[in-house]
Amino acid sequence: MKRLWFMTAAVSALLAAAAPLAAQRSEGTVQGRIVDSTSQQPVVGASVTVGPRTTLTRGDGRYSITVPAGTYTLEARTIGYAPRRQSVTVTAGETVTVDLTLTAQATNLAAIVVTGYGQQRAGDVTGAVSQLTPAEFNPGKIISPQSLIQSKVAGVQVVDNNEPGGGISIRIRGATSVNASSEPLYVVDGMPLGTGAGTGLSDGRDALDFLNPNDIASITVLKGASAAAIYGANAANGVVLITTKAGSGGARVEYTGDVTSSTIERVPQMLDASQFRTAVQQYSPQSMSQLGSANTDWFSQVERNGAGQEHNLAISGSGPAMNYRLSFGYLNQQGVIKGTSAERASLGLNYDQRFLNDRLDIHTNILGSQTVNHYTPGGVLSNAAQMGPTQPIYDPSSTTGFYNWPGNTLQSADNPIEALKLSTDQGHTLRSLGTIQADYSLPWIDGLKAHVDLGYDATSATRRTFNSGAQHAQLKSGEGGSMYWSTPSMTNTLLDTYLDYNAAAWVLPGTIDLTGGYSYSESNAQYPYVSATGLATNLLGINGIPASTVLQANPTIQQSRLISFFGRANYNYEDRYLAAFSIRRDGSSRFGPSQAWGIYPSVALAWRISQEGFMKRFKRLSDLKLRASYGKTGNQAFANYQQYANFVVGDAQSQAQFGNGFVTTIRPSAVDPNIKWESTSSYDLGLDYGFDNQRFSGAIDYYIKSTSDLIFTVPVAAGTNLSNYLTTNIGSMRNAGVEFSLSADVIQGGHSGFSWSTDWTAAHNANKLTAINPILTGAAAKQQQILTGSVAGGVGTLIQVLEPGQPINSFFVYKQNYAGGKPTEGSYADLNGDGQVNVADRRAYHDPAPKWILGHTSNMTYGSWDAAFTLRAYLGNWVYNNIESNLGDYQELQRASPYNLSSNVLVTGFKTPQYLSDYYVQNAEFLRMDNVTVGYRFKYQGRPVRAFGTVQNVFTISPYSGVDPTAGLNGIDNNIYPRSRIFTAGLNVVF
Amino acid sequence: MKIKIGMIALASAAILIGAGGCTDTVVQPKSAITSANVFNDPSSYRAFLAKVYAGLAVSGQQGPAGQPDIQGIDEGFSQYLRLYWEAEELPTDEAAIAWNDVGLPEMNTQLWAASNSFVVAMYYRIFFQIGMANEFLRETSDNALAGRNVSADLKTKIQQYRAEARFLRAFSYWNGMDLFGNIPLVTEKDSLGSTPPKQATRADLYSFVVSELKDIHDQLPEPGPNTYGRATRPADDMLLAEVYLNAGVYTGTPDYTDALTSAQAVINSGYYSLNPNYRQNFMADNNTSPEIIFSIPQDGTHEQTWGGVTFLVHAECGGNMNNADYGVDGCWWGIRLKPQAYALFDSTDKRASYFYTNGQSVDMSSIPNFQAGVAAPKFTNMTSSGHAGSNATFVDTDFPVFRLAEAYLIYAEAQLRGGGGSRAQALAYVNALRERAYGGTSGDITDAQLTLPFILNERGRELLWEAHRRTDLVRYGEFTGGSYLWAWKGGTQAGTATQDFRNLYPIPESELVANPNLKQNPGY
Repeated sequence: MKRLWFMTAAVSALLAAAAPLAAQRSEGTVQGRIVDSTSQQPVVGASVTVGPRTTLTRGDGRYSITVPAGTYTLEARTIGYAPRRQSVTVTAGETVTVDLTLTAQATNLAAIVVTGYGQQRAGDVTGAVSQLTPAEFNPGKIISPQSLIQSKVAGVQVVDNNEPGGGISIRIRGATSVNASSEPLYVVDGMPLGTGAGTGLSDGRDALDFLNPNDIASITVLKGASAAAIYGANAANGVVLITTKAGSGGARVEYTGDVTSSTIERVPQMLDASQFRTAVQQYSPQSMSQLGSANTDWFSQVERNGAGQEHNLAISGSGPAMNYRLSFGYLNQQGVIKGTSAERASLGLNYDQRFLNDRLDIHTNILGSQTVNHYTPGGVLSNAAQMGPTQPIYDPSSTTGFYNWPGNTLQSADNPIEALKLSTDQGHTLRSLGTIQADYSLPWIDGLKAHVDLGYDATSATRRTFNSGAQHAQLKSGEGGSMYWSTPSMTNTLLDTYLDYNAAAWVLPGTIDLTGGYSYSESNAQYPYVSATGLATNLLGINGIPASTVLQANPTIQQSRLISFFGRANYNYEDRYLAAFSIRRDGSSRFGPSQAWGIYPSVALAWRISQEGFMKRFKRLSDLKLRASYGKTGNQAFANYQQYANFVVGDAQSQAQFGNGFVTTIRPSAVDPNIKWESTSSYDLGLDYGFDNQRFSGAIDYYIKSTSDLIFTVPVAAGTNLSNYLTTNIGSMRNAGVEFSLSADVIQGGHSGFSWSTDWTAAHNANKLTAINPILTGAAAKQQQILTGSVAGGVGTLIQVLEPGQPINSFFVYKQNYAGGKPTEGSYADLNGDGQVNVADRRAYHDPAPKWILGHTSNMTYGSWDAAFTLRAYLGNWVYNNIESNLGDYQELQRASPYNLSSNVLVTGFKTPQYLSDYYVQNAEFLRMDNVTVGYRFKYQGRPVRAFGTVQNVFTISPYSGVDPTAGLNGIDNNIYPRSRIFTAGLNVVF
Repeated sequence: MKIKIGMIALASAAILIGAGGCTDTVVQPKSAITSANVFNDPSSYRAFLAKVYAGLAVSGQQGPAGQPDIQGIDEGFSQYLRLYWEAEELPTDEAAIAWNDVGLPEMNTQLWAASNSFVVAMYYRIFFQIGMANEFLRETSDNALAGRNVSADLKTKIQQYRAEARFLRAFSYWNGMDLFGNIPLVTEKDSLGSTPPKQATRADLYSFVVSELKDIHDQLPEPGPNTYGRATRPADDMLLAEVYLNAGVYTGTPDYTDALTSAQAVINSGYYSLNPNYRQNFMADNNTSPEIIFSIPQDGTHEQTWGGVTFLVHAECGGNMNNADYGVDGCWWGIRLKPQAYALFDSTDKRASYFYTNGQSVDMSSIPNFQAGVAAPKFTNMTSSGHAGSNATFVDTDFPVFRLAEAYLIYAEAQLRGGGGSRAQALAYVNALRERAYGGTSGDITDAQLTLPFILNERGRELLWEAHRRTDLVRYGEFTGGSYLWAWKGGTQAGTATQDFRNLYPIPESELVANPNLKQNPGY
């Protein structure tokens, strides 16, 4: 009941604000419609002032205002447009019509920006928000929408894993969490995806790949907490709002199609056959008898040129009270490693119908897709590195026809070509997302709108992995063939209701926009799986599980719920003083009973200095806005049910003896029943600037994000709980940074001359884990180290550390000693000076997160030609080269069958592994041309056509010696999927 | 008409906002066993009690490792019996372990630091047991049961289960106050996740343990076919005897009278007799020995752990020894006798018959060298009939926590220390052990030989490596100081006097941080 307080207060405030002004007999009415001078489209939310009264134009651009009879100057204004004034005479009891056109001065200020539960003009935004539209998206072969904004938004790091459609991570202004997720919240057409941060369920690849990038009209990134705070407990990592395309204008059919070819950019440098032979001869002569006479480059055997094609067809149009868009998409993209591919068929329907003179707007969106993914079977890449180059691919005398080292020992690599042939790993995802949104402009109060949104997001995925019992990897492990079959499914549902009141403020001058509402969302998921080993036969492949020696299944159900109340007030005084306040109250099923509800407030103030009279003399200055904001957000992207005392059932090997029998045990787990969100407080100070009617514009932002109540597992006072460690809200972290952006229309060549526009972004972020357990201070706090980052090589070797005072996941290594420029094997610096080199001499040393991310885009047009390219650079990011550390010593030759080595061993000459040396932590800064594209427009039989060609990953310049300096978020380069260079040629036709 | 539609739309919006009344955020897990549903299954009470027992025997919910009970240390190291054995044996004249795991070498020399991971893990293991027992008692309180559909028959059983849980809790509190001194006293009356508990004095803990053991005595069953591995009335008496025997150490006021009475109650219960085959008490079939009053069962199939007796059998083995002779798949080259313990035995004492000297020196010139020091494979995975246990890695040999022989020795010591009883009876009990050890009366002692120092030595012989030695030496005032030196005491091969504060282990440094109410034991 207590919760209703919030709702009641919000609604009462709205209704009070809307106290209707009764018309009196001595008054007359001015009405009319305001449209854009160029497009003739209505200008929504423009303020119209007649004498003492102000109103705002509605969705159709119309306004109506009642004032005492008299002669006035009517002023119509909105940001980004030149204000218009016109004299008007009002006669008592009569209505006069004044229609006006407004001329855009600065389109990037007038642009409508999608925000949470509403929209705003860009120039009115008070927080740190960036919106991109298709013209700004990355071109080329884009499977997942996140890639559209890579390198485009300052402070947004998009990390892909190089596989077609593979997993993608986004970090907005750095990571805020260690044990919960650091992914942003995604909201597609008002429907939040997943159960918090992240993109939801899939068969294993990026879950957002269900969304066809061609259907996207805009992507808005709510970077600053004041903008994101309206999403409360899910907003700590920022929010990405995706809006799909709607129809407009006359009926039209648009086709876009392309074909692609991709090649591998780089593979790890291994010893060739003769180098390998020489090394074996010297360091493992007993293995010489095993060596063959072949000369096999295993990487060249597993790679290929990937072909791809994509077709998109969209039918769209609009009528007087409706618009529609229907789209079909098909994509098939092969990866550069044999066997990998991503295939998607997608369908989109967007339908909008307006009733009651446009007062009621019903908007329906349905997206559906099927993705079929083929994965590189596990071990293909690592075995391509490890397999001896002197060995042949085929062996007619073996049962599988493939060569393998003799003896089936665990200490031998597998033939990767055999694995490609005999293992299968594939996924299949069906996902549909739909929303129906009703907006109703209430008839008796101007500017009051009611919204009801219903949404669903349903996913059903299948992942099947099969390894034949005949292949070497299975023979050597004795597993006898394996099959894994999981069929997770998830359904999320959403109800949002909110009221929005947008009108002239009734006490203060200026205008207000009030929003208040309620949101209810629920997630239901099932995770059934079957895992079988020791298959009776390999005949069924991935299509079934025959009799098997071990069959495991442990299906589970996961459910969660989030209930929210939210309110927001925006105040705008003559586009000069802007203020925004928001508050959200979230109740989550993931929070413990005493912490079931969290409150997330925000406040933002902006001052458009350029509007002040004293600035008028700076004629070229078109915008100068100082912004300051604060917001508190939460992160609830951790597992369900943490607050419940779980009873773990013991297995048959951990029983208790009672008499002559044995009893299975149950053990209650230690839980923090009051587990709650991780809390982030953010401060943002920003300056938006623009010159020459926004021909040059940009922003500078400085921010600090302090995250507290980080979830960690820490020791607890003995006797107070059921174990000595407890997962609880305890640690803290800090991110601080600056962001710069500049957009410049450098050359404006007019309709057919040469035009060149550029965008520049630069973002710096510094991350620091400030505390794990705040009770510990001084040396004791420093000594708290949680090791992370497992690497291939020594069992249980962890290469990274969480240590207070250091960036998260800093590398944790010894300082290598060098002699004559060469690392001295096994010789490390005694950093603590205690006369011995031991674990105490490992120290935090660099980290994987880039300190600076720089982005540049150029767009050029000349006549019918257009061209664009995107550059990206990272500075201060480091990668642990695990290929070199794992296969970088001659001891690997002394296995039962020798492993091939990284050619780096020729430099170091290491005889034994040196996993913990900082030698392998390498500077991975880089400059990359993400893409370059050229297009040509022409008419064919009267139809506009654009032909284009794009190259992605044109070049990468980096001191890093491994395959890709963007080796994942965690900075460990361990046989990552190689990056591909993709060539695309395509055609866009409008019928 | 328009207005009407408008009203309907507004009303709909209002109704939906009214759905704002739905503010229930509770979603109970469906696929997990939680406190909310676990006791809907009546067998859960027994399963939970089984866990309190299993906490002594295994290290987690997956055998031999996985889902560990405590964190912060290798799971194999974290097993209760293994830690307790190391704490009671390694710093004494009886044993040393060769390995170099961080913190382990200091256990051999009494030079541990307050952050020693084996000391830390012992502390948390003890409180894990206490926490399990407390939670069991909370979940079986009358209030808790009242809300559940529990049959009268089950209710009766639960009363006995509760007594057993309290026995196990008292057992761990005894270990805790013996090893660490003043530790918090947390019971089922303290709620979970509560503020850090206050430190209790050793005397408080003593009173608690004694009153608990007396209170539950008659709720525990008499020994019977279903009680093997479980607490019984004689086990309760035996634990009381142990606690009373050391009352002087714990409270400053000895209570040998009660010690003698309790030991006498065990002896007179009539359920136990000396096993004519001393060695069988430490073999894979020792569950059939008539002498064992309370044991921590181990089983190659059902109770697998890298600690416990599996650790003992493997670690005792090394050098020229053949692992197959002990029913296991390998030797870990760990534990040997310090020379002083070896010297307690004469050549005709059959309790030393299994000592292994081939390739082993008597002197322990180097702790890490397994062959320095005589090997003593007392625990073995062979049965008394010469068969190997069911599993060559995980042994079937149970650990005898209390056996009748010790009741005899407690009676004798308490008698000598003025606890009443009869001196003649004391002599008879000691000689009963001697006659078993020597296969006749050749080893019998005379009344004049029956002295307290003799009892200490006899305990060293009879109870060698049975995890009593540190407590015995502390009671005799010989554990620290310089009056009795043994190899590597204080860190030198000849032995050096150690300071008296080492009679107690330090409270873990991390615990002092987590619980600001605690004060460290003096000297650390």
